[in-house]
Amino acid sequence: MKSIYYKEWIKIKRVFSASLVLGILALSFIFIKVRHDILFSDAAGYWYSFLFRGSPYYTLLRFLPLVTGLGIAIAQYFPETVDKRIKLTFHLPVRENEILIRMHFFGAASLTALFVLFYTIFITGSSIFFPSDIIVPALISITPWFLGGLATYFMVALILLEPVLLYRVLFGIVGAGFVSFFSLRAGIGGYKPILITLSALTILVSVVILFSGYRFRKGEM
Amino acid sequence: MNAIECRNLTHCYGKKMVYENLSFNVEEGTILGLLGKNGTGKSTTINILNGFLQPKEGECLIYGENTQNLSPKTKRRIGFLIEGHIQYTFMNIHQIEKFYSGFYPAWNNKPYWDLMSKLKVTPKQKISTMSCGQRSQVALGLILAQDPDLLILDDFSMGLDPGYRRLFIDYLREYAKAENKTIFVTSHIIQDMERLIDDVLIMDYGRILAQQPLSSFMNRFRQFNITLKVEEAVIPQNDLSVNIEKVKDKVEFYTYNEESEVRSFLNSSNIEYTFFEEKKMTLEDAFIGLTSKY
Repeated sequence: MKSIYYKEWIKIKRVFSASLVLGILALSFIFIKVRHDILFSDAAGYWYSFLFRGSPYYTLLRFLPLVTGLGIAIAQYFPETVDKRIKLTFHLPVRENEILIRMHFFGAASLTALFVLFYTIFITGSSIFFPSDIIVPALISITPWFLGGLATYFMVALILLEPVLLYRVLFGIVGAGFVSFFSLRAGIGGYKPILITLSALTILVSVVILFSGYRFRKGEM
Repeated sequence: MNAIECRNLTHCYGKKMVYENLSFNVEEGTILGLLGKNGTGKSTTINILNGFLQPKEGECLIYGENTQNLSPKTKRRIGFLIEGHIQYTFMNIHQIEKFYSGFYPAWNNKPYWDLMSKLKVTPKQKISTMSCGQRSQVALGLILAQDPDLLILDDFSMGLDPGYRRLFIDYLREYAKAENKTIFVTSHIIQDMERLIDDVLIMDYGRILAQQPLSSFMNRFRQFNITLKVEEAVIPQNDLSVNIEKVKDKVEFYTYNEESEVRSFLNSSNIEYTFFEEKKMTLEDAFIGLTSKY
């Protein structure tokens, strides 16, 4: 099974590295700006604008997970669709569903590793400037964005592996609507009531790729 | 024992029937060439064999297992060359060898590196930057290293220049015969098949025209070139000819019958001719003769 992960790593390593750099740059920019704003305006005013005017310091993170999920999914699955190379993958001496699940697991795990790192940097950076009363709602606010990043990955993988163009378009429309749920504007910590629902939905869409795989193997065109 | 058994295959795309009740076997240790014009179902058959297409009716078995649900153990015994020598072109020759070796316990990289040493490629050169001929050698090398019992090669000659085609065929035939491998192969270039295959399966739209050992087919199937005395003469419908191609007074008469039988038929039909000769055919001539030029 190491061979499967070896191939997947060859495909995604550039996008993974680029996403890592992009995330670190974005987070660095966020905390440099926080430090700048606190230093050059008064801290109380800064906190007030954050708590009551709804202009959080982490807005820049909103589309970072989505872009990362999109990038990893394309890097991993687009090469499989060129010349229908997925046939090579399905011909390997492993059950077709198992190999898809392992590929998917690798992509999702890579994405999760990036997100955990971003989270850690975010919490560490935030704890320098803010008390936990602010950090906890901030985490609740950014969590759907990261779940959205995973959901984007799962949906784009489904779309890319789908053999029929019409279904791709259909999945694209449904996927865009679904993913947009994760990045709706809400008050700080406003996503708290549906966080579990969003997590459950993300887990649910993690296996939809098996549907495209099945359709491909049955010769849908 | 049969490596491949296809029984009563029926498949259609929408309303277009590709074939109905198609059955054939491939015996272990033989090289079978599947020939047919475009659209006669060669790729459909390959896709069914590889489990990438579910036939509307019937089934294909490889080593006794339905191709729609092959076990990893059986898949390990099958080497598959996709039309156009498709491979993971984002890898280089070292990466791809390392990748595949992990799946096959009997992996033997010697034939692979033997072939790679003949290519003028750098160790880190990606497969995407190689020529079609070079890619064909990578694909062939990987199959040989896998050491499968059955090789399914879909249009292996596509995009190859004559040198690479000859290299591919000679290497493959020697390997198959030395190791008692079974090969199921399709190719658009029929002259390549003549050097490679033991048995021939010729498909036409919706049916099999011939399935027999190549030597038997080439001995039995004949072409007679006839020049008619009267250009307007029409050779009547008959049971002897498989196909008749006529241009002005020149006739190509394709048949499984003897010369004497054809002459006797022409005489009894009052067809006069000024020239009659049996032409020695290549497989390509025979294929065209059997399936017609149109």
